[in-house]
Amino acid sequence: MITSSDRQLPPGTILNGKWHGKSYRLERLLGVGANGQVYLASSGRSTCALKIGMETEELQAEANVLASLDRRERGRPPFLLDVDDAVVGGREAPFYVMQYVPGVPVRSYLRQHGEQWFGVIGYRLLKRLAELHEAGWVFGDVKNDNVLVSSYGRVALVDYGGMTAAGRSVRQFTEIYDRGYWSAGSRTAEPAYDWFAVAVLWIHVLDGKRLMNLSRMLLPQNRHPRELMALVRSNLLLKPMEPWIDRALNGRFRDSEEACEAWRSCLQTAQEAKLDKSAKVPGWMAGLFALSVALCLAAGAFWILK
Amino acid sequence: MNQILLVTDGGSNVGESPVIAAAQAFADGIVVNVAGVVDEGNIGEHGATEIAEIARAGGGMSRIVTSRQLSQTVQMMTRQTVVGTIRQAVNQELRQLFGVESVAALPPAKRAEVVQVMEDLGETSDLRVALLIDASASMKPKLAAVAEAIRDLTLSLQARAGQSSVAVFHFPGDSDREPCVMDCSWTDQAARIEALFGRLRMRGTTPTGPALARVTEFFRETCGKIMSEPVQPSAPNRRDDTDGVRSDYVV
Repeated sequence: MITSSDRQLPPGTILNGKWHGKSYRLERLLGVGANGQVYLASSGRSTCALKIGMETEELQAEANVLASLDRRERGRPPFLLDVDDAVVGGREAPFYVMQYVPGVPVRSYLRQHGEQWFGVIGYRLLKRLAELHEAGWVFGDVKNDNVLVSSYGRVALVDYGGMTAAGRSVRQFTEIYDRGYWSAGSRTAEPAYDWFAVAVLWIHVLDGKRLMNLSRMLLPQNRHPRELMALVRSNLLLKPMEPWIDRALNGRFRDSEEACEAWRSCLQTAQEAKLDKSAKVPGWMAGLFALSVALCLAAGAFWILK
Repeated sequence: MNQILLVTDGGSNVGESPVIAAAQAFADGIVVNVAGVVDEGNIGEHGATEIAEIARAGGGMSRIVTSRQLSQTVQMMTRQTVVGTIRQAVNQELRQLFGVESVAALPPAKRAEVVQVMEDLGETSDLRVALLIDASASMKPKLAAVAEAIRDLTLSLQARAGQSSVAVFHFPGDSDREPCVMDCSWTDQAARIEALFGRLRMRGTTPTGPALARVTEFFRETCGKIMSEPVQPSAPNRRDDTDGVRSDYVV
């Protein structure tokens, strides 16, 4: 589909806020969301992220979510900085300004820094989701692009377009991460909806090609969490997390705290198993040792007998 | 809020004009959306024009998609129509009460409050969607996708806080005097809709107009006298018709 919002605004474009009078200079495009584009922008000496779209109501709805998060989570710098309109290319467009979150999507981060980071990143992601759940929200659109990782596996969620008050219908989701798509439950916003998406996130990040193939090949009536589990069991990296993923896909945690703890203990078990493995003397080494002893004895016996 | 969603793959060829039938439905307060499903080949100029015209007359939107995209399209159109209906009603109130042209003309702080109310309305208002499925012979290979789209839509509607129900019709009917057949009356249970198409008999004609008229009649029978006249959108403010292409569904 081609929309007028697909056109990129050139770097250096200045947006002058109609209501609050602040002006922003667009530096570069950061990403394209469902209903607008997000730019890195500067205002005076500070850097921020600016989302501009066509639909006033949709952008305002997202800004509302950020504002209410800011109200709930006092004591940290606010996410939402400004909401305004500006004239761009001859027409008025709504925009809102957020705190800029540096980082790259999980998949790219693991590619750059190594897959062994996924444990810590997964734990931090679950922690962040638990905070949102605690505040009565469900993130809704957990996916690779929306989970940004910066130095030493720090995690930030971006694009709050899917964030939904618990108990309502999820506002925005991505098919392959959606538990409804996998015939594993409703689209009602509840913590379990996010757990499911997190489980799929790890399958997507660590075994993306096979996940995509699976969703392409399966008939709709055969989409089921057990298909995802089959994939998990046959992947070396995912296999150790099997117990956690199984519980997440089936929504079997008491709450998000428990989901965090279960993630940790699953990692722990996997690590211990690895240690045990490396502590054990491999068979070939023992074999060689025995062989060398035998050879020595034989040589000794031969020498004595001679 | 009442909607008809027509799923078809070509032009009508029997009976009254579907464009007039859609206009009548809209006059009765029912928005008509159209999904044209084309997998191979072309829908033809006649079919494409008619699909766009039906949606325009029915106050809704139209999309021509492959069967893989059908679920998403049906979701998106239903959702957008709810949003659009509420937006029109709210903008009308704003014009009458405050002389403001639309939500976008309000200062951001006021806008935040109005949008909050709109979101609540969108989630909690009652919604009825009648699906009208073209079951002419050429649709046969696409019916699995249609069934999946219906399942998917029901799943989303079930999650809403407001009451939502779905009814399913297909056309043509079994005899020439019956333009369409009801497969399932108002329900919010996805289970009742599954395996619906097993007993479908594919036939040749495509009486889209008479079928639309029949479903409109069904709304009148089951939902009493629906709202008298839909909010008539003034032309420059219409933003949810077919040319304002947008999607709140990302893949």
